[in-house]
Amino acid sequence: MKTDVVVIGGGPAGLAAALKASERVEVMLLERGEELGGILPQCIHHGFGNFIFQKMLTGPEYAQHYVDLVKQSSIDVRTETMVLSLDGNCRIMATNPREGLVEIEAKAVVLAMGCRERTRNQILLPGTRPAGIYTAGTAQRLINMDGLMPGKRVVILGSGDVGLIMARRFTLEGAEVEGVYELMPFPGGLTRNVVQCLHDYDIPLHLSHTVVDIRGQRRLEGVVVARVDESFTPVAGTERFIPCDCLILAVGLIPENELTRGCGIEMDGRTGGPVVDECMETSVSGIFACGNVVHVHDVVDDVSLSAERAGMCAARHAEGNGEKVRRNIPLLPGENVRYVVPQRLSGAESMPITLYLRVMEAAENVNITVSSGGALIVEKKERVVRPPEMVKVELPAESVKNIAGEVRVDVRK
Amino acid sequence: MNDRKLARKAASIVRKHARDKPVHIRVEDRVVYLEGAVSSYEEYVRIGREAGRLKGVRGVVSRLSFPEKMERKRPVGKKECIGEADVVIVGGGVVGCSIARELSRYRLRVILVERAEDVACGTSKANNAMVHTGIGEKMGTLKQKLCVKGHQMYKKITDELQVPYEQQGLYIITTRDSFAKTKIPGFLGNFIAKHIVPLIILRRAKKLGLPMKRVSRKELLENEPQVTERALAAVYSPTYGITCPYLFTIALAENALANGVEVMLDTEVVDITVKDGTVSSVVTTRGTIDTSFVINAAGLYADEIADMAGAREYTIHPKKGATLLFDREASALINRSLSILLFPRTEHYKGGGLMKTIDGNLQWGPTMREVFDPTDTSVTAEEIQAIFARYSLLAPRFPKNAVIAYFSGLRAATFTEDFFIEASRRVKGFIHVAGIQSPGLAAAPAIAEMVLDILRGEGLELERKTAFNPYRKGPPVIRHLSPAERERAIAENPLYGKIVCRCEEVTEGEIVDAIRAPIPARSVDAIKRRTRAGMGRCQGGFCLPRVVRILSRETGIPAEKIVKNGRDSHLFVGKAKCLLEGECEN
Repeated sequence: MKTDVVVIGGGPAGLAAALKASERVEVMLLERGEELGGILPQCIHHGFGNFIFQKMLTGPEYAQHYVDLVKQSSIDVRTETMVLSLDGNCRIMATNPREGLVEIEAKAVVLAMGCRERTRNQILLPGTRPAGIYTAGTAQRLINMDGLMPGKRVVILGSGDVGLIMARRFTLEGAEVEGVYELMPFPGGLTRNVVQCLHDYDIPLHLSHTVVDIRGQRRLEGVVVARVDESFTPVAGTERFIPCDCLILAVGLIPENELTRGCGIEMDGRTGGPVVDECMETSVSGIFACGNVVHVHDVVDDVSLSAERAGMCAARHAEGNGEKVRRNIPLLPGENVRYVVPQRLSGAESMPITLYLRVMEAAENVNITVSSGGALIVEKKERVVRPPEMVKVELPAESVKNIAGEVRVDVRK
Repeated sequence: MNDRKLARKAASIVRKHARDKPVHIRVEDRVVYLEGAVSSYEEYVRIGREAGRLKGVRGVVSRLSFPEKMERKRPVGKKECIGEADVVIVGGGVVGCSIARELSRYRLRVILVERAEDVACGTSKANNAMVHTGIGEKMGTLKQKLCVKGHQMYKKITDELQVPYEQQGLYIITTRDSFAKTKIPGFLGNFIAKHIVPLIILRRAKKLGLPMKRVSRKELLENEPQVTERALAAVYSPTYGITCPYLFTIALAENALANGVEVMLDTEVVDITVKDGTVSSVVTTRGTIDTSFVINAAGLYADEIADMAGAREYTIHPKKGATLLFDREASALINRSLSILLFPRTEHYKGGGLMKTIDGNLQWGPTMREVFDPTDTSVTAEEIQAIFARYSLLAPRFPKNAVIAYFSGLRAATFTEDFFIEASRRVKGFIHVAGIQSPGLAAAPAIAEMVLDILRGEGLELERKTAFNPYRKGPPVIRHLSPAERERAIAENPLYGKIVCRCEEVTEGEIVDAIRAPIPARSVDAIKRRTRAGMGRCQGGFCLPRVVRILSRETGIPAEKIVKNGRDSHLFVGKAKCLLEGECEN
């Protein structure tokens, strides 16, 4: 089977990428689940689309907007279709119940598989392995989609956005949320979520705390929490046993890049995603990536926007217009910058570029500079920067043209 | 040593470790019985172990109480007779199921009873899946003899049952750390590690008839680039095998079932009646089974079962082993299983290592720790740290952040630290198959044959049945099929084209197969063991809700009542809104 562009993943990134690409070329959208929308259909709270639609939508509403457009488009959508392998020549092997094995040859591929949740095992939580321990996203799906209640007395570890939202969700479902415990000295989620999900419901947030033991043989009976010091080591004597039947983990998201690594694409250890240029193209020509595959985003609007860029560039590549002189200018995180996306600038297309970056430490009244060989390209001031909140810097199209050497981004007071 | 001498020696052990404590010692038929109280579990273990080491001792029964001791509440049995059998096997682990399959070759009525809701729910599911060759066991022990023999039987039996088994090989490695914790000076320790230790291993191998060869440091590092530069020498054992212990146990049980054995799950033995010195019936939570032979393959609870018949000649002291499991991507950095020799060696502990599973995940472990609670399968922070510390000596550069899971298993050890397999000398018809710790998985087929000989010796008539079918057709594993086979499978059953577990590529068809299998999966963990759904890097984050839905649809059990692994392990408290409406299930 042949097509121009294959988009892998039917979540917000895949939907936007497929739509954009379908304006120019033939597109096939592969989704492993039964329906489109990715994680959005289970996010029944509002707060989506602030930026793109200028209004507060729920997850399902946000997704439906794109799903409706996809239905009206010429995109060949295949659900329940799981990609088993991808090679460097855009050849895909997939499986689904209707066609068995499907071999697809594309001119360009967009990776939009999203991310998965970190489990208790990846953070080495000690203790037993009873029923009643769920990642926040799984609990969200169980309650909102499957109508199943995971527990009645809940401890939440991690204050990432999904954890905060689930604290509120459990409360609204009549469960008692004993508290949210966060390893870091600052909350992991957006400030608006801390206020709207915890403060408004009197749910205590314990910073610099972690779970040090999980108890119960068959069903969770309780957890032991303790305070941690600056090196995140539990402080002896601060342990406290909390009886509970449910432990919810919101301890981070990991970009899903098994397919990406499988075809030898260069990865960025800081983001956990592939290295991309401003076209969202990876180190393998013709393979593009967008959304949470590249790095974990705070808000879905940015996912959609980066996906549109990927979709457009993938379509141009499929049209044969993607052959460009790659200048491959490295874009490097400098002072107080944990990572910056894109990691490369090709300079091939003349278009404005949005840089996404995360800081290492919170700071106030900072100056964000993008420079090359000491020459300033762009400068931006921010009143507050915090590690959980992504910072965006716009580079005008013409500013990139004359850059020769590596570019760095610094956040200074 | 006779009983009187043994009693004297035992008394001196007690004097040494628990002077002034009210301990009563009795020796009968070379079994040491200890009663009274000691001040800690550590003391309890020390006394038991030293008594177990006495020359000529057959068993140690310790009824000593210690402060941490917990009394387990035993459920109530039912008197009503629910069946009659020639042989009742207590315990559905790899040993009980091996014996069941062996007995199913004969014209016998055999019932296997298992307390859990599935077979392979205890030690058989939580071990390192190694089919040992016997090289690591103490020479001349029963466990070594049965291990060597069992290992030779594996290829045939796993072929017959369609269970994965591979002789992937194992490197036994010495490094500059091998003698670092001994009093031997460094240069001498290194010399011994490099030249003497391999010789000793090779000499043993020759005695046991095992094909092993010496591997130079250079060759080792070429084949296994992750191994430490501090490595000195290695011995390679090409026949070291791995299997999947729970799939093997399930296959044994299914084949036994197909050949007429009755398998009663969720059935706990609460009493064994003995009349005129002979076994007469087994009382369970479902009812009473009349029988004249009982095989005690109850693992961690073997001493309790023996007590019920008044035939106890050993005490089980659980030894916990914790293991870390790594993502397949990182695991591919290691080609074969690796073990490191560190001296002084802890008694009755082979030391573990970096062991490959049949599915390509690497295991680091197991550790060893005495625990008094036979249900304590926790993994503590100390154990995790100890694993990293110990095995980093072997592969210091391995990506330690690629852990996807960890688990603990409990070794059902006796104080004599060898298998205890014999007919009871006190109760006719009661057969001990106790103290089966490592290498119990490897030895299981040989243990089953030995038990048959014992039964024959005890007067059970064994008449072969012509209808016995040694073959079992396992369910298809879609990810292992060739493209053409896969196409065909999906054309026949479209559910084989629907992936439910993304990480391990498990299809809905395979999950349905597990639920409809001869020994049906009734819990999320039972499905996981049979199909690997939920065993990958996301640990069920994505597939759990889907597995719950399929399990509910296929069995008719409401989703809110689905369990993780048997009674009391409910996944949910009820339907959404149940807390608001006061209608909770759990």
